[in-house]
Amino acid sequence: MKMEPVGLLVVEPSLLIREGLKTVLSQLGLAFRMEETDTKVRDFARLISKTAANIVIVNPSLLPADFVINRVGSQTVFIGLLSQGSEPTGQFDYVIDYCYSRHEILEVLEEALKKAGFSKSKDESVSLSERETEILKWVSLGLTNNEISEKLFISTHTVMTHRKNITRKLSIKTVSGLTVYAILIGLIKPEELKGSSRTD
Amino acid sequence: MCDAQLPYLCVFKKITMRIHQDLKMAEVIHLNHHLLHVINRFGIQLGFAEKTVAEVCEEYKVPLGFFLEIVNTFDDPTYFPIENLKLFKASMLISYLQKTHQYYLEYKIPEIEQFIKKLNANISIGDDIKALLADFFGQYKTELTTHINKEEQRVYPYILALEHFIESGQGKEELILKMKEYSIHEYEEDHDDVESKLFDLKNIIIKYIPQPKDSRDLNVILHELFELEKDLHNHGHIEDLILVPIVERMENEVSENHKELLR
Repeated sequence: MKMEPVGLLVVEPSLLIREGLKTVLSQLGLAFRMEETDTKVRDFARLISKTAANIVIVNPSLLPADFVINRVGSQTVFIGLLSQGSEPTGQFDYVIDYCYSRHEILEVLEEALKKAGFSKSKDESVSLSERETEILKWVSLGLTNNEISEKLFISTHTVMTHRKNITRKLSIKTVSGLTVYAILIGLIKPEELKGSSRTD
Repeated sequence: MCDAQLPYLCVFKKITMRIHQDLKMAEVIHLNHHLLHVINRFGIQLGFAEKTVAEVCEEYKVPLGFFLEIVNTFDDPTYFPIENLKLFKASMLISYLQKTHQYYLEYKIPEIEQFIKKLNANISIGDDIKALLADFFGQYKTELTTHINKEEQRVYPYILALEHFIESGQGKEELILKMKEYSIHEYEEDHDDVESKLFDLKNIIIKYIPQPKDSRDLNVILHELFELEKDLHNHGHIEDLILVPIVERMENEVSENHKELLR
């Protein structure tokens, strides 16, 4: 899964519609950065590359009459924003109609995100690897990155990468928090802690 | 989050409701009851009857503009009083921040300690787990106290000396002494670890405590921790976004007009 925020470009004349889109988008629980424009677009391709958008949501009335979406070498997903009764053009990957319900809009956006490579994949491992568990143990016992790197014959940089992953997987940031966790899962015993050196 | 039947009403309230002087104080509490202890910090107590915000502030001799900025900043984290910034005196802000510190150390932390102590009566949670939680919270308390003491003993006196010098032209020696010890740029950095510990404690309780038969006692503690976190976050927000710019402005003013103060 891509971790960076989703880049969105919204081309739509109505402020109300743009604000509404933001409200619905915020319910997806994804970080996104959004560029918007409410005026006629002359060079569509240039605008897209300039904003580095992953998903473009566009009202065709702001595009040149003869616009053609160029898909060569691009992973950008195009969603047409259509006011009631306007004809959909076949060029868009998806269509959102002004009178879609919240549910329908969310469905389209989720599909589009998946196509753009931002789907929430479920197979991303959340449990610690064997190596991470080993490092967690030494961290909880109060060893510094340096000491751990010497003990395990790995670079301190590698130790730090493992520690970042441990914190991300467990949502625990401090050494004393990790120590409590290690005790709770039986990885270490409270008696093993050396003195009171549990400072972060 | 919102009542599914009333999505529009909910959004409307969230976006447009600014607390203003003609609102009844009782309505303010209905709008956001978390504001109660913020209001208490100004010395204002319950029993508002039909009085408006302006009337209550007048009664308690609280500067209305300042009060409104503080409650709005608390009510809406995206609210930022840029325009009104210049109106505030640093001493006014510091007095508010000190009341907040008092609230943490004399009320909130002891209250949470009581709830943790109460866990002892809950036989569905192991003694070792209770000890771990109590110990971890103890560490958190120590760090929070250290952080607060540093602000009260080093940061605030420096800011007050700065303000006193600008207003009266007196106390130059004292200011030079404090300036050598301190500059506002050093501020802020150690908010981090205090926040992380609270974050960890919440996650440990939510995710990793062995499932108790009855989690109600833990729910209460969690609720308190969330509330404390929200309050601390607002406290930091006020320090970083309101107090720091005021102090920086004063520092610039002093260094421009009094070059002799610079090393």
